[in-house]
Amino acid sequence: MLEHLRVLDLTDERGLLCGRLLADLGADVVQVEPAGGSTARQAPPVAEGAAPSSMYWEAFAAGKRGAAFDLDDPQEVARLRLLADAADIVVTSWPRPRLEALGLDPATLRADRPGLVYTVVSAFGWDGPKAPYADTDLVVWAAGGPLAPHRDGDLPPLRISVPQAFLHAAADAAAGTMIAVLARGATGRGQVVDVSAQEAVGVATLARVLATAVGDDHPEWQTTPGKRTGGRTDQSGSGAATPNSLKKWHCRDGMVELHLSMGPAAGTFTNNLFAWLRDEGAVEEPVASWDWRVVPDRLVSGELGHDDLDVARAAVRAFLLTRTKAEVLDAAIRRRLLCMAIFDMADIAASPHLEERGFWGHVDVGSTDVKLPGRMAQVRGPEGPRVRGRAPLVGEHTDVVLREWLR
Amino acid sequence: MTTDALAGLKVLDLSWVVAGPLIGRTLADFGATVVRVESSVRVETARLMQPFHGGVQDKEGSALFGNCNAGKLGLTLDLKSEEGQQVVRDLVAWADVVVESFSPGQLRKWGLDYETLRAGKPDLVMLSTSIAGQHGPWSTLAGFGNVGSSLSGFQHLVGYEDRLPMGTFGPYTDYVGPRLALVTLLAALENRRRTGEGAYIDVSQVEAGIYFLSPQVAQFGYDGTIAERQGNRDQQYAPHGVFGCRQVDGKDRFVAVVARDTAEWRALARAMSRPDLADRADLATVEGRRAAQDEIESAVAAWTSGLAATEVERVLQSAGVPAHLAVTSDDYPADSQLGHRGHLVELPHPRHGTTWVEGPRYALSETPGRPRGAAPTLGQHNEMVLTEILGYDAERVAVLTEGGILR
Repeated sequence: MLEHLRVLDLTDERGLLCGRLLADLGADVVQVEPAGGSTARQAPPVAEGAAPSSMYWEAFAAGKRGAAFDLDDPQEVARLRLLADAADIVVTSWPRPRLEALGLDPATLRADRPGLVYTVVSAFGWDGPKAPYADTDLVVWAAGGPLAPHRDGDLPPLRISVPQAFLHAAADAAAGTMIAVLARGATGRGQVVDVSAQEAVGVATLARVLATAVGDDHPEWQTTPGKRTGGRTDQSGSGAATPNSLKKWHCRDGMVELHLSMGPAAGTFTNNLFAWLRDEGAVEEPVASWDWRVVPDRLVSGELGHDDLDVARAAVRAFLLTRTKAEVLDAAIRRRLLCMAIFDMADIAASPHLEERGFWGHVDVGSTDVKLPGRMAQVRGPEGPRVRGRAPLVGEHTDVVLREWLR
Repeated sequence: MTTDALAGLKVLDLSWVVAGPLIGRTLADFGATVVRVESSVRVETARLMQPFHGGVQDKEGSALFGNCNAGKLGLTLDLKSEEGQQVVRDLVAWADVVVESFSPGQLRKWGLDYETLRAGKPDLVMLSTSIAGQHGPWSTLAGFGNVGSSLSGFQHLVGYEDRLPMGTFGPYTDYVGPRLALVTLLAALENRRRTGEGAYIDVSQVEAGIYFLSPQVAQFGYDGTIAERQGNRDQQYAPHGVFGCRQVDGKDRFVAVVARDTAEWRALARAMSRPDLADRADLATVEGRRAAQDEIESAVAAWTSGLAATEVERVLQSAGVPAHLAVTSDDYPADSQLGHRGHLVELPHPRHGTTWVEGPRYALSETPGRPRGAAPTLGQHNEMVLTEILGYDAERVAVLTEGGILR
């Protein structure tokens, strides 16, 4: 869909994904690296092999062409600037002082090229009081809001396991870029797209970042489901407000995620779960016949107590220990349950569903054929996004790109 | 003079909760006209979710709903009725884009699926977002985004090594899916602009989540490593953690601290007045620091515990060390960088006087986006949509009203 677009990709690990998404959609994306190779080639996870290889690089530089330049050599930098002049889009996550020193910053490149779309991904934005801050993925996760409310008991807030903040920002950068491309289609003018990773991750708080602004002083209640707190009960079934120990259950071969959602919106799913237990003789009356859509009301009125909830939980716990992850997943589909197997990477790789949907792409890493998520979405009509090939070697396409783009 | 990037784009939004509505929210920010259809009888889940204005649970008070739907026009409709479905058909005839998040197969039952709708409108761009996609064995899976977190590998991966998997904060794939969906949708619009061709886009939240774990998937494919949870630690940097600071007004405060290299580690140790650690030879490499991680983390925690988190941030950032307060909703409105970018936007609201939403995550220099108004109250724009957009006469609107269709 984007075969007509040339993208000069000046990103490091912070913005690497942006170009991957545009390349998946058909754009000609040229990943520029300093002569010694991108720092993204050290981004974890790094697999030990004949040559240590960053799986982050292999995954998110996939489908791009590669060009390398000695950024200490003014002549090489001049050639790189010529490429920028031939591009529809420049995307970068290099630090601002470095871009300005090289004359590759938005103001310089756009001075003679008002049609250029120039997208910057950074932790805090192109300018402002925190723009010069030293940053990492964790620092952005802390500054943007999703870190603080994610507590496991009294322990310090918990990160999202592996770097994610800049992936949100880089995906936003691809969307912002496309909005600018659409605007250019109407006006002929390009513009600067300034993406803040701090802002990007706010949405990963389920609007908790807005709580104080709208006068909700108690948005992070972690309490027993159905218990009145601040004059209200959690009827969402989203799980965000439910303590962890009430959501994770052991099954025969691993763990499952399940919470006994209640209330008008999600109580039906718990009714379905208890119908399964009833059919298998795993729960007794009167719990077996509760209508979970009205359980919050019955708890508030005092008709049910939290001891009763414990009886219900005990029945579920005993039952799940007799079932496998696969059986739980199957029942979740057949019986419409909010009960889910907790998958690891091996489970995901073996999923018949993903195989049937043609989700996987294959790329070479060294001499190994590696399965990668290949389709961010499936499209009918025009050719949809797919991984276009392996990540480039350092400078693999420098000459051919210079020939093609500067013709 | 600036125009809106997406001026003239017409969008019918049939989605609900978070993953679907966030797509139309961005389109509205950049100038599209977005008509959102919902039911006032079967009230959509996001309206029942915290945070709430003034902390009071009310279906017109959810800041989450407000954040996902700002700037849209609201129409309430009984989609189960023949007459309601006809209104939808008329809106499709008006629209360029349809976004929906019903259970896969539901729209076909109503004769509102893509194949049917495109018959009279070959350039229609339609996007469906669901937990696991429109086809495949898991496509009938019920549930919210936290089901997506389990099947995409995040539940397994987030948490402390020696504790239960903690999972993500809220339905994580709800934050990922709409970003990848939006990029694909905008590419389809660019393709349509150039070729007149429509498209159907099938987004799976599970697949979007796995896409954001591409490096971990690749590593499994490369050498069989199954990524495991590691608390707040990191495979690249040490120390890398979240540390308790002095309480403020009885509330826990935390700061994220990372050293990306040995120079930053030494700067951190000196800032902590621990020259002994700064000079220790065994801590001069990341491998050495990783081996001593427990000791280093205790030392950092001992230092931060007596300080305000903002003070730790200030001291370390002035020494060039990545650090940031773990921002809570109390801090968010006062953050200097977010303030500089105008990220929080105050909007007039018919019930609450004013409300607050997040602004766009990317600043476009020529065609900046902004929320055009608060999210609609139930049925707020019924009259306007039916008469001004669809051109219905007063009699037809009256028949729909009296027939109970506009609920």
